[in-house]
Amino acid sequence: MNKAPVIETKNLTKMYGNHVGVKDLNLTVYKDEIMGFLGPNGAGKTTTIRTCLAFIAKTAGKITILGLDSHKDAVAIRKKTGYLPGDFGLIPSVKVRSYLRYLLSLRECDSMKKMVSLAERLELELDRKTNELSKGNKLKVGIVQTLMADQELIIMDEPSGLDPLAQQEFYHILREEKKQGKTIFISSHNLAEVESVCDRVAIIRKGQLVVVEDINLLREKTGKVLEVEFSDPVNIAELKLEGVSEIHQDNGRFILTIHENLDGVIGAVSNHRILNMTLKTFSLEQLFLKYYAEAENQKRGSA
Amino acid sequence: MLGRITYMELRTGWKGLLIFGILILVISAGIVQIFPFYRDSLTEQLEGANKVNLTLPNEQGGNITLSWEPLVNATGYMVLEDTRVSMVTAKIAYLGEETSITFEKDFEEKRYYAVMAVINETSDPVLIGIATTAKGEDPFKTLLENPAYASFTGGRSVSMLESKGFITFEFFGLWWVYVGLFIAYLSVSIIASDFENKRMDIMLSTPISRRRYLLEKFGAMSVIALLMILVAIAGLTGGLASINALNEISVATLSLSLISCLPFLMVIVAIGMLTAVLFQKVRTGMGVTFAFVFTEFFLYTFGGFSKSLEWMKTISIFKYWDYSSVIIDNLFKPGDFIILTILATLLVAIDVWLFEKKDVPA
Repeated sequence: MNKAPVIETKNLTKMYGNHVGVKDLNLTVYKDEIMGFLGPNGAGKTTTIRTCLAFIAKTAGKITILGLDSHKDAVAIRKKTGYLPGDFGLIPSVKVRSYLRYLLSLRECDSMKKMVSLAERLELELDRKTNELSKGNKLKVGIVQTLMADQELIIMDEPSGLDPLAQQEFYHILREEKKQGKTIFISSHNLAEVESVCDRVAIIRKGQLVVVEDINLLREKTGKVLEVEFSDPVNIAELKLEGVSEIHQDNGRFILTIHENLDGVIGAVSNHRILNMTLKTFSLEQLFLKYYAEAENQKRGSA
Repeated sequence: MLGRITYMELRTGWKGLLIFGILILVISAGIVQIFPFYRDSLTEQLEGANKVNLTLPNEQGGNITLSWEPLVNATGYMVLEDTRVSMVTAKIAYLGEETSITFEKDFEEKRYYAVMAVINETSDPVLIGIATTAKGEDPFKTLLENPAYASFTGGRSVSMLESKGFITFEFFGLWWVYVGLFIAYLSVSIIASDFENKRMDIMLSTPISRRRYLLEKFGAMSVIALLMILVAIAGLTGGLASINALNEISVATLSLSLISCLPFLMVIVAIGMLTAVLFQKVRTGMGVTFAFVFTEFFLYTFGGFSKSLEWMKTISIFKYWDYSSVIIDNLFKPGDFIILTILATLLVAIDVWLFEKKDVPA
């Protein structure tokens, strides 16, 4: 990729005493892309983001954001960055409009146009008081404050919890932001969320990067999943066909991972009486588990 | 120091400030309203009272005579005896209707006698006077030098029959409790609640440096402290005007004595902010800040117990807000004002330095 790096970490390490937050993390997020940052709770996603934004000090390594040093130039970086924390509170007893206007003023941004437009699209009532908002509406306030000042870089830490309609609108907004030249770094453990908007995905596990991959390439590499149930007993050996990389059996149901020779596999399966059959693209959930399993196996192998 | 964060802080907290402001106004104006009743009652009770006379024997082992003028309303008298002027370990030496008693001097050390008049069964005895066997000693002066009293008046002789003395004891002596502790609470919560309620992340994701954040919060606290002082000045002035006592204590004196406590309050604010940054929790920060204020008060009090403990006074911020110097002696001490201002500035610099070093937890 020839695009300029917007976030670049080199051997980023953050230790909490003896506990590893992140270790030797090398990650690059390029301009105009939406990058997903996946991992289960405690994997180090939030630690990485908070270290990048200088909320917490790094133990070792280097972080460059928009060409600036993350800690020395923290204020300059924040002028160009919008951030949605994973868990946040709002100033109580003020109207949403006043609160957002206040944040805009701290960003020295006079225009409320985008703030109003985002609120309308997400159906956020600007004249309600912040302490009267539901969890979902509070998240909408967080999303609006992240995007309203037109920053070059948007960082979002697990922005999940919207209702389905608002969620779809949120994805639309993110895609539009990307078209306008924004770079978006979005962490999540909601894999479907990342799948629908991201160009690339980085998977982190126990503070270490497992893989960084283009989302389409990732799907291609991991293939498709065929789930089939037969009316008669079938020997598992019969399904070990060309192009099938994995077979699992679960209560009479066979789960085949197929990389190539799809028509050949379907043909072979059709030789038996089929009760039920589904063909699916690998969900990120499965990818996620697969990468974890591979990393685990590699670890055992090297040990 | 004053900016958008300051404005927002004042805007969101105005209801609480209004309530506390009204409370300060009621206390400051109300306390003064009590004064005429207190003075008249005390004057009435002390009518006819004269200084207690104590006659020592010429030779060792003779008799001591203690006498006093009869009090019009008294039904009897009580004499307390102690080796300390504070009378904390006093024993009753006499209880009866006489106004003169004689007893044998069978001791070497100096002793103090407090003569009290019993007015009726329901009210407390009234102090007529104090006498001592120590030659040339003014027992009242000794009493006022007692740390318990000195902490209120700086060891000055203050009459509760004058509005100056009444305000010094009843208002200024307790000002640090209600305003000092309120300011301590606010200065902790103004920052620690941003941590506890997870507002710090969004705040610090804007291009606001940690230094600016803290300085603006300090600015907000300075405005709040100043507002409380102005409300108190207004309350006391109004109160004194309503009892026609403004000729006894001028508005300028009142204002100066209260404004001179601004750096005192700012030190408390800086300590509150320090604990907020360190602990990032309202309750812990508040506990430590309250402990600081009380420790400072006790250091000042204990520092007066003996010469060898005077260093305690020096390290207490209470030494540097001498309100009675302004009220009673009409003497404003700019040196003290500057010392506390420098201390507050240094503490704020430490707050900023620490905050820039500390992690902001998720």
